Amino acid sequence: MMRPCIRPLLGLTWLFVAAWSAVSPCPVDAIEDPASLREAIRVLQEELRLAAKPQIYLLLDLPAKAVVIKGRGIELHRFPILAWRVSTSEPLGTVFRLRRRPPIIRPKAAIAENPQQDPIELTDMPVAFTLRFDPPLTIWITPPARENPWRWASSRGEEWWTRLRSWAATLLSTDPPDPEPSLRLTLSTDDARSLAWSVTDGLPVLIVRSHPE
Amino acid sequence: MAGLQRTFLVSLTSLIGLLFLALPQSSGVATSNAPRMQETLPSEELTLQALRARRLALIRQLAQYNPTGPYIVVDTARNRLFVKRKDEILLAATASTGSGTILDKPGQSDAQWVFDTPRGEFAVQSKLINPVWVKPDWAFLEEGLDVPSDPAERVEAGVLGEYALGFGKGYFIHGTLYTRLLGKNVTHGCIRLSDDDLKAVYQLAKIGTPIMIF
Repeated sequence: MMRPCIRPLLGLTWLFVAAWSAVSPCPVDAIEDPASLREAIRVLQEELRLAAKPQIYLLLDLPAKAVVIKGRGIELHRFPILAWRVSTSEPLGTVFRLRRRPPIIRPKAAIAENPQQDPIELTDMPVAFTLRFDPPLTIWITPPARENPWRWASSRGEEWWTRLRSWAATLLSTDPPDPEPSLRLTLSTDDARSLAWSVTDGLPVLIVRSHPE
Repeated sequence: MAGLQRTFLVSLTSLIGLLFLALPQSSGVATSNAPRMQETLPSEELTLQALRARRLALIRQLAQYNPTGPYIVVDTARNRLFVKRKDEILLAATASTGSGTILDKPGQSDAQWVFDTPRGEFAVQSKLINPVWVKPDWAFLEEGLDVPSDPAERVEAGVLGEYALGFGKGYFIHGTLYTRLLGKNVTHGCIRLSDDDLKAVYQLAKIGTPIMIF
């Protein structure tokens, strides 16, 4: 005979497990999964177009938990994603172009007064920032809470505030627009700075959500 | 009382569960080690084979865009330069790249020089031995000097090292007198190397060698 106080706990556990499995559509190593193969093909087709031109592009490989800087199909640099979360179960198989790189405060050299102006260094780059793309996509870059609790909290607060406004706008509108997809990437402090340093206006970005192997 | 408490808890758990179901999110944490078993019907096997073949063909097609010979990779964040052939590193060097500072152009209210090393893919356009520096306007302005009208006054020898590799718009990979600043972002956009590394890059690179800068 199950004690009455156990039942809600079991129910809670069941609901969490059910909810979690229902919202996690990304098989990682599903070699027998046609959907994953189709997505991989779609990403490769897009990458072929990018690699055909002399340019640098970014591949966000979510199952491999890696940000990969690429050019001509070759990997130039990679750094790990500590955790990620995406707001939609829809495929993100298109090329997203960065509207603007994160703002940087550039030291201004006064003519003849200070020619040895301090340069911008990697440590001057932000550790928590937002990247907005066309077609609409928002990527929130946050540091791990243990490395930078204040930045983590403020970034999450900003993220939730934006989502709240979006939901409110959807509720109030008679013709609600499709919710803008968003992706949150947790990167180490150094890697977040590296990413902020490396991105440029108009940078093409591809996102891989599932792996065929 | 106990019944009321139980009803409340059940309602609360249901509400939380429904809230999670309503959020269409997937996460890297939840799926990291969860391969999903799927049944494959015989009719789907052909489709799977075709999809696998298509994917392999695309991977091979992508590889055709890889540089066939040596190529140069510059990491401006860490001030590193590599010469690679396929995955092999032929040379790893410490460099100096753009400082990211700005300088106002005199007489132009909104115009500025931005001393960044350009990012993207370029190619070696010129290979020079014993290059001379043709000083641009900003070099004079930084020193508090007037910009000379005579082009001959802009020429300065012996400051760029023994070699220089041009990659467009006045940007070069060249040597430096200030070797203690290698590894730092101090340049006006060019890429500086030590004498030995510069010589090695000069020997490995040809006109047309790709330079990938990020």
